[in-house]
Amino acid sequence: MAKVLEGPGMGLMKKWGINVPNYVVVTSVDELTKLGQANEWLKNSKLVAKAHEALGSRFKLGLVKVDLDFKAAEAATKEMIGRQVGSITVTQVIVSEMIAHTEEYYCAVKSTREGSEVLIANCGGIEVESNWERVKRLCLDIGQAPSQESLEKLAKEAGFTGPLAKKMAAFAGKMFACFDSEDAQYLEVNPVVVRASDEELVALDAVTLLDGDAKFRHPDWNFAFAAEFGRAYSRQELEVMAVDSKIKGSVKFIEIPGGDTAMLPAGGGASVYYSDAVVARGGKLANYAEYSGDPPDWAVEVLTEKVCSLPGIKNIIVGGAIANFTDVKKTFGGIINGFRKAKSEGKLKNVKIWVRRGGPREKEGLDAMRALKDEGFDINVFDRNTPLTDIVDKALQVK
Amino acid sequence: MSILANKDTRVVIQGGQAGVNAARRMAEFCYLIKRPLNVEAFVYPPDAGKTNEIPYGSGLIAIPIYRSIAEATKHHPTLNTSLVYIGADRAMKGGMEALDDSHIKVVSMITEGVPEKDAKVLGAHARKLGKVFNGPSSIGIISAGACRLGVIGGAFDNLVLSKLYREGSFGVITKSGGLSNEIIWICSQFADGITTAIGIGGDAYPGTDYVSYLEMFENDPQTKAVVIVGEMGGDLEERAAEWYGAKKRRVKLIAVVSGFCQESLPKGMKFGHAGAKEGMKGEGSARSKSDALKKSGALVPPTFGALGPAIKETYQDLLKSGQVREPVEPATLPRLPKTVEEAMKADEVMVAPLIRTTISDDRGDEPCYDGYPASELINKGYEIPHVIGLLWDKRLISKQEAEIIKRIMMLSADHGPCVSGAYATILAACAGIGLSQSVAAGMIMIGPRFGGAVTDAGRFFKYAVDNKMSVDEFLAYMKKNHGPVPGIGHRVKSLRNPDKRVKELVGYVKSLKIKTPCLDFALEVEKVTSVKKDNLILNVDGTMAAVLVDIGFPVDSLNGFFILSRTIGLIGHWVDQKRQDSRLIRLFDYLVNYAAPKRREVPPLK
Repeated sequence: MAKVLEGPGMGLMKKWGINVPNYVVVTSVDELTKLGQANEWLKNSKLVAKAHEALGSRFKLGLVKVDLDFKAAEAATKEMIGRQVGSITVTQVIVSEMIAHTEEYYCAVKSTREGSEVLIANCGGIEVESNWERVKRLCLDIGQAPSQESLEKLAKEAGFTGPLAKKMAAFAGKMFACFDSEDAQYLEVNPVVVRASDEELVALDAVTLLDGDAKFRHPDWNFAFAAEFGRAYSRQELEVMAVDSKIKGSVKFIEIPGGDTAMLPAGGGASVYYSDAVVARGGKLANYAEYSGDPPDWAVEVLTEKVCSLPGIKNIIVGGAIANFTDVKKTFGGIINGFRKAKSEGKLKNVKIWVRRGGPREKEGLDAMRALKDEGFDINVFDRNTPLTDIVDKALQVK
Repeated sequence: MSILANKDTRVVIQGGQAGVNAARRMAEFCYLIKRPLNVEAFVYPPDAGKTNEIPYGSGLIAIPIYRSIAEATKHHPTLNTSLVYIGADRAMKGGMEALDDSHIKVVSMITEGVPEKDAKVLGAHARKLGKVFNGPSSIGIISAGACRLGVIGGAFDNLVLSKLYREGSFGVITKSGGLSNEIIWICSQFADGITTAIGIGGDAYPGTDYVSYLEMFENDPQTKAVVIVGEMGGDLEERAAEWYGAKKRRVKLIAVVSGFCQESLPKGMKFGHAGAKEGMKGEGSARSKSDALKKSGALVPPTFGALGPAIKETYQDLLKSGQVREPVEPATLPRLPKTVEEAMKADEVMVAPLIRTTISDDRGDEPCYDGYPASELINKGYEIPHVIGLLWDKRLISKQEAEIIKRIMMLSADHGPCVSGAYATILAACAGIGLSQSVAAGMIMIGPRFGGAVTDAGRFFKYAVDNKMSVDEFLAYMKKNHGPVPGIGHRVKSLRNPDKRVKELVGYVKSLKIKTPCLDFALEVEKVTSVKKDNLILNVDGTMAAVLVDIGFPVDSLNGFFILSRTIGLIGHWVDQKRQDSRLIRLFDYLVNYAAPKRREVPPLK
């Protein structure tokens, strides 16, 4: 799943005929000032300025300012750009038209195993969360699109009446068109509002989750996907992602600040069991990592360097199940190179390394790991006869 | 018995190299269970009409490649299963093509990164047709002793260790490819092994879910228990729990779910497979899945590590109740023949080398010339003449010797377009012939009359010097035994019109403090011959030859100096003609003396 920020999300909705407020995304005040000269609405409307970053609780952080005139919007932009929140620096601000409205509603489309669901509620904003039973849904089969009648029926079920039911149905129809055509996995507009000026439904805030795997058929997806962690990716994480995008197989790396057990396991499935084992043993994860699909040794080496560079780690778990086709000798070669490099840079002092693995050329790979003992590494190597996660038990028992 | 994949499964593989690799693994399994290869065809349009060679035992089996599934099933009507190894952007089309063919009943897709929408459409289409669509991102399906689809099961040794050559009593369903092998191994160590293991893929919406396969296992009398390896995210495990709890089931269910670590991670932080995403209100969490499975009556060990003992416990119960009997292991199993490389590594075979080399080795990270790494030679200031010394005479020559060689090469790099070599190259270039062939045309001209006299000149001068001959003795010897002296004489140059190249080279070599017995002798010879005839001077071939012998190069290498140097010129001529886009040339009639008989009548054939 790939999260899309508000600006590009609004852009996709607009493409499918959904009314959205006028908005601009800027990276500096100068840009906003210039846009102000070109766009009447910026001068004539009340404005909202928001930090355009993957940040939670922007309101609390003072990164959402409402009811601004253009001058105040410029001031807010100036204040927000460059602000540091945790690991994120605010680099973009979205300035949009404030829509005068009375009523707030809710509309969403989501992917399910059976097909998709259209959700409508005649309340919106934070009210939806506390009144979830007022959300009415229409389930659609795979490949099925909702008819106007079925959507009107849904709107009426949700308590909409008269022309508003028709409008809400039309709005939901456009949402579905956008969802279906843009390979979305989740689209949510909360609130949908009735614009006071023309009584039209307008999408005020949007959550857009797209299927990153479908990017190949959407040449107009010219935006970057946002981190889904409520924080920006770190430099180390981005470097591993860059490697991941270039290779056959995959390497993944996510930092978890404050942990002391570093993870370097193989396999998307086994890696989570290893993480579970650490947590179950009362350990604190310093990261999540995974390599799989017989990646080249240099990619595993890059991953290893990142893992070895995590601050304050005491153990490194080089776990893995019995591989199908990942070459254990080759991938371990990358890990060994990474370990040697880290050691030559003065890292890995007082760090214990725990290895368990099976698969093609397991004997050669495990022997090479064992040989690291002679180079002064504190390393413990186990083969397939030791159950998968037992190395975690051993690592976290040792005081 | 087994499900999905059995002894009647006949496979077509859609895709290129990844598919070929899978076929190799499948052939290893077929060999282990002593059955013919179950792959009958490939579909890969770029190579249609060719074959893929798949090793089977110590032989190779040629499997035909077709343009389409329809073409494959027309030639192989017994095909009933397709494995899809096509890139994510084309996987949907390939999967549909296979599903729509009436012969194909099971389609398993290995491709990762398939858009969710495509996977859903493929799954729905298969259900509509009453077929099975497994995957995407599936590692494969394996039925012990019967059939392997894909690389699931790993290397040959692992197949044996995990006792996949005969069936056991446990079914396995996993999302993770790596863990499927782990569970198969555990089942073989803590129980009697597996019936069928299925990788359903780690995507959010696998084409076929646990429940469908649980139904199949329930109807397979050989399968007594099923192990599920689940993950947080989605509701497939909850559905499996619902199925298991709905009524009394014949099979026992053992399940583990990963993702408990999520509870203690920063909010919103998710990882693992694409499908491993927890819902908003904790539904799809490892805990809710685990609880649901427990409630349904499934055996749910608390950790992955406890899975082995849980399987063992179940197996012991089955033994006690007489539902299963201890398996009988076969006395012998086929052993996979080793490749020559593997056998050599294991000291099991000695191979007599075909060739022997004493000059270079490129097996490391860079070439070594006579033992010296090329980069180190560069970094320490050595140059091309030194490489020539190493590769032609296996020695590091001195700076001074290198300078002589450099000068020889510079002086003989080219001699204009009219000489045989350059002319032949130009002729070929004008006929549109490529670089290497055109240069070769020029090379062919190098021989006794053009450029190829260096070796012979060196040989005879050396012979004279070694035998302390006088010039007269030498000339008499040559006249009697060999004819004209190689290295003496020039077509154009003469005493009055000396060859500047010779003068230059002789001058330089004489200025050095080195002994040059051959050169001195050659110059003495010239003194005598040039008196006899004006153009019987020491030519550039003879000069090079004498100097190179004097600095110690073996006689047999001497022509190489001319060949190497002149190659520079020949390449230049070819490029020059190419640049000018020269047209085809032919001789004019007036340049030919037509001395053939006049036109006449052909007599009748007798």
